[in-house]
Amino acid sequence: MSMTEKAQGFVKDTLTLDDALPTKLPIYVNSVAYLFGVFTLCSLVMVILTGLILAIFGPNWNHVNATGKFFHSLHFWAAQLFFAFIVLHLSTKYFLGAFRDGRWKTWMIGVLTLGAAIFSGFTGYLSAANWSAQWHSVQAKDAMNAMGVGGFFFTTNYSQVLTLHVALFPAVVVVLVVIHILFIRHESPVKPYPAKGEAQI
Amino acid sequence: MSRRSDEYMRGVPMKPYDLIREGLIALGIVAALVIVLAIIFSSPNAPTVRGEDVAKNHPLDYLKTATDFLSGESGLESYGPPYTKDNENIQRILGPGPATVLGVTMPLDAQKDLVIAPLDKVAVLNKDVAAALKVWKSASEDQQKAWTKAYSDALDKAEEANGEVKVAAGEYGPVPIMMMGMLDLGRAGLLEGALTSNERLPYTLDNTKAMLFFQEDVDSSVANGYDMTGLQWGITHEVGNLPGPWWLWPYAIWYQIPPLTTAPNADVIVGSLMVLFFLLLFFVPFIPVLKHLPKWIGFYRIIWRDWYEKQEGAAPAAKKPGK
Repeated sequence: MSMTEKAQGFVKDTLTLDDALPTKLPIYVNSVAYLFGVFTLCSLVMVILTGLILAIFGPNWNHVNATGKFFHSLHFWAAQLFFAFIVLHLSTKYFLGAFRDGRWKTWMIGVLTLGAAIFSGFTGYLSAANWSAQWHSVQAKDAMNAMGVGGFFFTTNYSQVLTLHVALFPAVVVVLVVIHILFIRHESPVKPYPAKGEAQI
Repeated sequence: MSRRSDEYMRGVPMKPYDLIREGLIALGIVAALVIVLAIIFSSPNAPTVRGEDVAKNHPLDYLKTATDFLSGESGLESYGPPYTKDNENIQRILGPGPATVLGVTMPLDAQKDLVIAPLDKVAVLNKDVAAALKVWKSASEDQQKAWTKAYSDALDKAEEANGEVKVAAGEYGPVPIMMMGMLDLGRAGLLEGALTSNERLPYTLDNTKAMLFFQEDVDSSVANGYDMTGLQWGITHEVGNLPGPWWLWPYAIWYQIPPLTTAPNADVIVGSLMVLFFLLLFFVPFIPVLKHLPKWIGFYRIIWRDWYEKQEGAAPAAKKPGK
């Protein structure tokens, strides 16, 4: 079997076009709880779009221009919604036992995404160049230093914090989200727990 | 569907679904929500604490801060890594502190870097400060400590009126002139510039020294006014009524619980707890109690209620013919 044939077999086994862009869903996917994931993703899209615009006009834009201030507000609220939806998404997925039937990788990548997003949001707060950023920078340094992370991550170093916020952490979040979504599309929605009287599959 | 999906979904009734349409509607809803929230509530942007404002409005606090650094006995002098080699005050948990692993990666001599170095610049412009600095540098360490101790004690009893500080006469040596030099530097709005000055100017890539200058009493006092100190849920709070990073409450809550409210190694304990909780969350699919908890709680029956109504409603009906 050629490498191309092996690749074809892998895709057929794991992620066909029907999986990637489904036109039908199991009927048990019938609750608002299933929307938290897509709302998280849409919030992330808004965070990235507004973040790109803020990056184009520079970190001072927020402080010298009303339009810059507005885009900063959009970025701020997109981040707030992102965390609201990711918390709802993770909570509902836990209570559905969505990590069953071999879906542990999807769960773990999701948790890693949350971890990366927390640091992305944290460095965002420290990058705002306002009082909150100033205070949290000097406060957070004690926590970072106590854990030994402060030896290379200096929360009081604006250049480093801003670079991490606009480059490293968003890249990590986006890569993890892409992998997370590929796993979701590959695995399809987990089946409900057995009904009363129904045997565990 | 893929072979795997086909196998898993075998026998499960399906319904039509338009992923792209749903995604676009969701994006529209979220975008509208973000725009409305941004228009109505804007975003937090309280002004920073600047040397100029502190020097003009709270000169006594400014002088106390500068004198503390000049004494060579400030908290930063004995902070430990990454600033100083002194490991006595580092936070430890079950043995050596994690801070010792990388050690001193940002060397900082608070007396020299936060006071003497800025005063060296002031001395170029002010002959009195230059003379005072010369006296200071030629004095013994004991003499320097005696001057700063006496001046620091005097500041504790000093009065502040109309932006000026009245200090009782005493044996302070060159310290009052040096501290007035620091105060003038702040009033001129040049403190942060002097602190961040480096060999790569005009680039100031690291503003750590300027951030550390007011971090103790001045910043804490401002934070207290905004309900943002560690004992007031710290980082989860934002200025005014706007939401901060509320999702960090599982972290901030530990600082509200004794003995962590006052424990000298609270940061390393809370940090370690967070690492532990993250690992628990990460390994949920494999942790016996945690992985079964959703089934025991039964919240899933609300989300999948339609499914269970059909399944459990259909089951007795299917059995009837057999009776």
